[in-house]
Amino acid sequence: MSADSRAQAPGDAVLRVRDLVVRFDSGRNVVHAVNGVSLELEAGGALGLVGESGSGKSVTSLAILRLLPRHAARIAGEVWFGGRELIQLNDKEMRGLRGKEISLVPQDPMSGLNPVLTIGEQVVETIQAHEDVRRGEARRRAAELLGAVGIPRPGDQLSRYPHQFSGGMRQRVLIAIALALRPTLLIADEPTTALDVTVQAQVLELLHELTVERGTAILLISHDLGIMARMTRRIAVMYAGHVVESAPTAEVFARPYHPYTVGLLRSIPRVADVGRPLTHIAGAPPDAGRLPPGCPFAPRCAWALATCWEEMPPLAPVEAALLGGEPRPSAGTHLLACHNPVAPGEAEAGEPLRPGFRPAPPPPEYGPVTEESA
Amino acid sequence: MTEAPRSAGEPAPQSGSGPALLDVQDLRVHFPVTRGTVFRRTVGHVHAVDGVTLQLAAAETVGLVGESGSGKTTLGRAIVGLIPPTSGTILFRGRALDAKDGGYRAERTQLQMVFQDPMASLDPKWRAGASIAEPLRVNHIGTRAERRQRIRDLLEVVGLSPAHARRYPHELSGGQRQRVGLARALALNPAVIVADEAVSALDVSIRAQIINLLQQLQRELGLSYLFIAHDLAAVRHLSDRVAVMYLGEIVEQGGAADLYADPRHPYTVSLLSAVPVPDPSAEARRERIILPGDPPNPASPPPGCRFHTRCWLRRQLGSPERCAVEEPAPRHVSAGHTAACHFADEVPGRAAGTEAGQTAGPAS
Repeated sequence: MSADSRAQAPGDAVLRVRDLVVRFDSGRNVVHAVNGVSLELEAGGALGLVGESGSGKSVTSLAILRLLPRHAARIAGEVWFGGRELIQLNDKEMRGLRGKEISLVPQDPMSGLNPVLTIGEQVVETIQAHEDVRRGEARRRAAELLGAVGIPRPGDQLSRYPHQFSGGMRQRVLIAIALALRPTLLIADEPTTALDVTVQAQVLELLHELTVERGTAILLISHDLGIMARMTRRIAVMYAGHVVESAPTAEVFARPYHPYTVGLLRSIPRVADVGRPLTHIAGAPPDAGRLPPGCPFAPRCAWALATCWEEMPPLAPVEAALLGGEPRPSAGTHLLACHNPVAPGEAEAGEPLRPGFRPAPPPPEYGPVTEESA
Repeated sequence: MTEAPRSAGEPAPQSGSGPALLDVQDLRVHFPVTRGTVFRRTVGHVHAVDGVTLQLAAAETVGLVGESGSGKTTLGRAIVGLIPPTSGTILFRGRALDAKDGGYRAERTQLQMVFQDPMASLDPKWRAGASIAEPLRVNHIGTRAERRQRIRDLLEVVGLSPAHARRYPHELSGGQRQRVGLARALALNPAVIVADEAVSALDVSIRAQIINLLQQLQRELGLSYLFIAHDLAAVRHLSDRVAVMYLGEIVEQGGAADLYADPRHPYTVSLLSAVPVPDPSAEARRERIILPGDPPNPASPPPGCRFHTRCWLRRQLGSPERCAVEEPAPRHVSAGHTAACHFADEVPGRAAGTEAGQTAGPAS
């Protein structure tokens, strides 16, 4: 009930990421994990980061939390959390924030918990690290939290160890820890990937209820477009460390403009397609240690132009012309990084429908392209 | 083990699109649970597969779905002979597959398996070509030169180039490794491939490539698949028929379209309703059935119907005693469609099943 009074005015960004760049220097070569990512998440909002493995979505979230090893990762850009820029904070300030104002629900519930501490100790530790409360009081609150995430007989469970819980229950404990101090922002990195479907449904429902009830903004990372459709209001599609398309969730599904987004949506089996081959994306994602110049999707793209091989297009609002005549309410909120956007009819077909159009071949100096067969 | 073959007059209880190529009758696989290190004693059994009857016709795909611990992997492994069954029969082309039978090995080559994690199922110290040729070497098929030619042909069949034969697994991408795993499974010209979560570890765009390849190979080579997966949309896409497992038993079985549109077992209904659908407006409209709790321990399955402890339908019906005491037998609910539920007729079928597995794409 106090959720709305706590949250800032709608439209006020909790998190604003600008041109985030993360590189890992392995001595021999440099891995370009994140290449200029910009994101915005309003208070109480739900933003999904979707992409395949290696697209940089997890590294982005770890960079926001400043959890990347300092000696290996070079980070540039800005991460604004309310009025503070996180990249510039010192470790102590960051520790004060992490767990209290920004918290994380990791993918693997077993490695997210300490196996030699009881569940109670771990929840109490989080509370006591940030608030000056007595142990008894912290334990009482811990039990309350476990109850809130649907763990039966929470008082008795405090003295049990992580291995005595099932995967779904462990993930509930991690959600309890993450929400213990009513953070403004929750980052959930593939929170249900390790769980069975029926348990996944329970955990998603819980995450949804608790974040809405408490006005917590959520940054949800997943490769599952179904989860995105259920949980988010806005989606940013990542490919090879770039955000290539970003729009309100319904827009992404109804009017995708980036060839990669179209390919992702077309790769999912649909009832209408039974018996027919899926429209897959040929080739494989590029190696982040040897990123091509230009748009990293060009080697797999059926819409590629000559300029795609040379220059990465910036992420900008889809032009009014493309949205067709009347400016729609969503105009300006649909961002795209593409030289040659997919036309609506083409999205349904899964291929360009312009007479005589052929994707531009790689320039001769480009070298061998992707080799996964089509 | 000795198995009594099905009596001659008895018709096959489940007919697919043709005569059964593979006929699994009342198969059970129990694993002993032991205590003690010096004096090991058996304190119980995990009933991983507990009385499964399943047919697979030529060129047919049967999808096998269920959650972890439902026994679907154990069933697949028992069929290809990686795990000895505790009891029951596996008939292949009408002949029982029996470890003591001399013909077993020859028949076995007709049943091959593709695993979930190709990084774990390929030897990291072997080049891809050596892995693909291993089944040929083991069975003394062909000369070295003939095997080399066969490797080249197989690589082409799965969409790789001959150069890939020289690569080590770590030099291949995930999709390429899975193609090598497929090439190895195809080396002996099998009739049946058991694909155990063969596309689950792959990224969305690569998964679509492998699904397409599986369908293409089926068309060209007339393969039958037992496609084991938890991805209900992929199962729907590939399968002619689908079997749903819960705690070692098949609780529902039927034609893919029929079962997804009109599920008759409450577990299938909740499974289909739990899967998030990539369509925001459908997601907003859908009624979801959230099952309470986790699947029970297969070492001590609940008495009566194994699903009764989590069953939403039983609660709706005022928790009838029958579910807790009497194990339901599979009942015919429509043509080629069985459900093991006392109250299958009470399931508001089309209500819940319709959206799941049907996923809307762009601008549809």
